[in-house]
Amino acid sequence: MSKIQHDRTHHAKMATGVGDPQCFKGKAGKPKFKIGDRVSVKDLPDIFYTRTMVYTRGAVGEVVELVYESPPAEDESWDNTDKSEWFYSVVFKQNDLWPEYSDEFSNDSLETELSERWLESA
Amino acid sequence: MSSATREEVLRHLNTVGYIQPALHKQTHAPSPDEIDHSLFRAYTRPVHDVGGEADIPIRYEEKEEEQWELNTFATCECLAWRGVWNAEERRRRQNCDVGQTQYLGLPYYGRWLLTAARILVDKQYVTLTELSDKIYEVKKRYE
Repeated sequence: MSKIQHDRTHHAKMATGVGDPQCFKGKAGKPKFKIGDRVSVKDLPDIFYTRTMVYTRGAVGEVVELVYESPPAEDESWDNTDKSEWFYSVVFKQNDLWPEYSDEFSNDSLETELSERWLESA
Repeated sequence: MSSATREEVLRHLNTVGYIQPALHKQTHAPSPDEIDHSLFRAYTRPVHDVGGEADIPIRYEEKEEEQWELNTFATCECLAWRGVWNAEERRRRQNCDVGQTQYLGLPYYGRWLLTAARILVDKQYVTLTELSDKIYEVKKRYE
């Protein structure tokens, strides 16, 4: 078996002097969601890798910021950086995430970043 | 082989027994029909996704990094700088690919260091026999 040739410099070349995820700016196209949109988190398969926490799946939250464009973690973790997507900061009510969360603290919220592939309109 | 080695081997086999998942049923080598969707999902989850899992409180301790931990961090950053991996690939390997036993059982920078060695083998920068020969040689210096 011959050795696999790895491109050892392309990621560094892209990011040098610009930063990561700034080097992916403008690569994701038009964002599907805007600030204030209600979104729910899809229950996509998560074998091998994801950074989308399982406790957010199926929960409804609100988009509060479009944070950056980047390849999704599931792709970047195998160095697949050709396809970027928008990342959104989404706020959930803790009550909506944890069934036993006390009503006394119903104003508590949780904010986290999710990539577009995980979201659909709610 | 010295008896010190035999002692270590037997101690190792006992230690492995202690770190098996403490499920109160027989779980090894299941037939396919014993793995329903819930179990499949649980077994194949990314093991770093621990939010919401039952656990006991961990004692928080303020502690400075040790020298080997700083060296490990610098080594891993150099591997990124030289294009061997990016930060997300490093996280995937040290937080998920290591498996639940190592993820929960090893110190944070221990996983970094193990993963740095692993990627050099995976991407064929060193062979496993070169790596293990080197570890063996270094270990001998301290005997």
